[in-house]
Amino acid sequence: MEQLDYKKSKRKYWLLSAASVIVFVFIWWFSTAVLKLAKPITLPDPVTIIKTFIVKLTHTAPDGGTLVGNTLASVKIALSGYVMAILVGVPLGVLMAWFKPVDRFVRPLFDLLRPVPGIAWIPLMIVIFGIGITSKIVVIFLTAFVPCVVNSYTGIRQTRDVHLWVGQTFGASNLQLLTTVAIPTALPFIMTGIRVALGSSWCAIVAAELLASSEGLGFMIQQARGINRPDIIICGMLAIGAIGALMTFLLGIVEKHVVKGVMHK
Amino acid sequence: MKVSISGAKEKTLRQMKAEEAAKNVLCALISIFVFCLVWHLGTRNGTKLGELLPGPVETLSYFFRGFAANIGTYTMVGHMIWSFMRVFIGYVIAMLIGIPLGVAMGWSKTANAIFRPIFEVIRPIPPIAWIPLSIVWFGIGEGSKYFIIFLGAFTAMTINAYAGVTSVDEVLVGAARMLGADEKQVFINVVMPSAVPSIFAGLQIALSSSWGVVLAAEMIRSSEGLGWIIISGQNTNNNVQLLAGIIAVGVVGFASVLLMREIERRLCSWTERGR
Amino acid sequence: MDRERQIKNKMITMQHVAKTFVTERKTTRIIDDISLEVKENELVALFGPGQCGKTTLLNVMAGLEKATSGEIIVNGEKVTRPGPDRGFVYQTLALFPWLTVMGNVCFGPRMRGISKKEREERARYYIDLVGLKGFEDSYPVQLSGGMKQRVGIARAYCNEPSVLFMDEPFGHLDAQTRYLMQDELMRIWEKEKRTIVFVTNNIEEAIYLADRVIVLTNCPTQVKKEYIIDLPRPRDYVDPGFLALREDISSVVDKTL
Repeated sequence: MEQLDYKKSKRKYWLLSAASVIVFVFIWWFSTAVLKLAKPITLPDPVTIIKTFIVKLTHTAPDGGTLVGNTLASVKIALSGYVMAILVGVPLGVLMAWFKPVDRFVRPLFDLLRPVPGIAWIPLMIVIFGIGITSKIVVIFLTAFVPCVVNSYTGIRQTRDVHLWVGQTFGASNLQLLTTVAIPTALPFIMTGIRVALGSSWCAIVAAELLASSEGLGFMIQQARGINRPDIIICGMLAIGAIGALMTFLLGIVEKHVVKGVMHK
Repeated sequence: MKVSISGAKEKTLRQMKAEEAAKNVLCALISIFVFCLVWHLGTRNGTKLGELLPGPVETLSYFFRGFAANIGTYTMVGHMIWSFMRVFIGYVIAMLIGIPLGVAMGWSKTANAIFRPIFEVIRPIPPIAWIPLSIVWFGIGEGSKYFIIFLGAFTAMTINAYAGVTSVDEVLVGAARMLGADEKQVFINVVMPSAVPSIFAGLQIALSSSWGVVLAAEMIRSSEGLGWIIISGQNTNNNVQLLAGIIAVGVVGFASVLLMREIERRLCSWTERGR
Repeated sequence: MDRERQIKNKMITMQHVAKTFVTERKTTRIIDDISLEVKENELVALFGPGQCGKTTLLNVMAGLEKATSGEIIVNGEKVTRPGPDRGFVYQTLALFPWLTVMGNVCFGPRMRGISKKEREERARYYIDLVGLKGFEDSYPVQLSGGMKQRVGIARAYCNEPSVLFMDEPFGHLDAQTRYLMQDELMRIWEKEKRTIVFVTNNIEEAIYLADRVIVLTNCPTQVKKEYIIDLPRPRDYVDPGFLALREDISSVVDKTL
């Protein structure tokens, strides 16, 4: 009986959510397709967008790439810069937190670079590396690198003295303390950094493609703006959002397997 | 307080702290000097990179001269004010909408059920991806810039306000009810104060994200602002201007972080972190 | 004999109270049909093993949680929700961290719309009573554990409730502070008599403080046995009567991990 009430109230909110989406899409459709409150070149109706989406899956016009092709191009570049940032950033953060001299010398430089958003580096990287894959990968690297370093650093600094003392009484060397005590302590933080970095890389690749590129989702929506095709823009934006959410979701699964001994939400 | 180590000479804690700070400053100066030296040597005449980029001396002197002479139509300060005003307007609108929305979603399950799905669709789209659509909607003027800065700041504010309200300690709510507070009083006197630190964290994240977004917007379409300094430097092959622009961005970003920390210290004086 | 006269009116009446928790997968019965009475100005200790529903029982009595069945009457009124006629002192303190000691203690009167002058005057009296004079402007984060719990007690008292519920209020304190706070509670209670229902998992604490100890069973919780403690106050931990009671109560408690 009580169990039933509980399920009922859950279902009520679920229905409310579904109704909210339906009402939203309906109002959008009604005001664009029926009332014609907005011109199609300003805001197309939802049906047009679904049609465009299907067409764009296989057609290359007008930007020279299919939706799938553009997505793959963006993902490939974003992931390569991202992986490099993890490989460099996490160890650097760990070293900075564990070895005082590294901290003393590296941190000032890091603090100098940190307040500059990744986007600001795009033109400089284009000047140095030209318009191509390299400059984009470097920009993504710089963007994703910062959260990796900051979170690994904070994580290692969370190590509790008691745990270190336990390690020392068992005769662990400094390096063993780092790998068996400090890094496991820092792992949840490191994973958080890696998750934040994923979002930043995805954002940075879109920015880089908007500014200078010949393929990718950012390039696609920028081209579509030039020829007044908001339906393609919205398709592209939804694809960007969906891919971003998907990657975050996959990383969340990895995180659950890597980080043990904490409560997962 | 005296700290004594057997065999070593005694030092007070304050002396030890001062020594530590002095070492840190010294190492920082050395590393920054080495960085500038490498930059200087890497870009000296005749090297390949030197043909592309100016050295540190040239860049810094351009940066400081920018405060007196115009870069484009404004001085450095003028450009900073332009960027600042854009961020400020978009940011304030985001505050006025995002925080109440997040609070409402956290406080009422009904509001959460209604807004959550639409919010979840918008949330993963990076604000920068809105630039083309916002230009279509609002033109290339200021309106589109405010709009994307609004979007860039809005999500972080909403999420954190939501988290702050939902993570309120149920025991505290119970305690207030036991003391005679009604629903409205619980909201004003318990839920809101305990959500303040989280809301503030959202404001900080939103500030750095809208700072990045304004640069992107200015790089894509504008004729003033720090983003413009950088992009017009690139477009006119004026790489000194480009680098000076990046330095200006860093300086303003750093200043805004300091400002937020100071505000947090005053606003959340009762938390461990604020203290 | 004076006490006999004070303890006469029924303050709390619980009849056939039961509580079931519902979660995603299952329902769990926490409290199984409890009936009990507490008289005015009586100090009753609810004592039971670790994971039994003591706290839930107290929350139900206070109105923080709804009983699945049965009814509770406090001071002639049926309990349906939390209210200022019942005070609560928490194990986790539950002080408002953003308010000073003064702000915490006058929270209740402020909610009820009592003027600033009057409520601060009253708060000062209770802050003084619990021995925190001079700490009015401190924030909870600046106080020690024992001092924080004094604030909790003053806050509950300041609302002038007819009943006080205390949920293992000294559970988090170290042993020395705990003894001290037990004596402090006795001193405060002697000066300002109230009906108190006190939850504890410590036998000595129960016998040391209470007029009556109610021993509870494991989950689902029921009343196992009641003991009237008529040892003279102040009580002595090594008094033979005390030790005999301790022995007796220990023997009836459910042993669990």
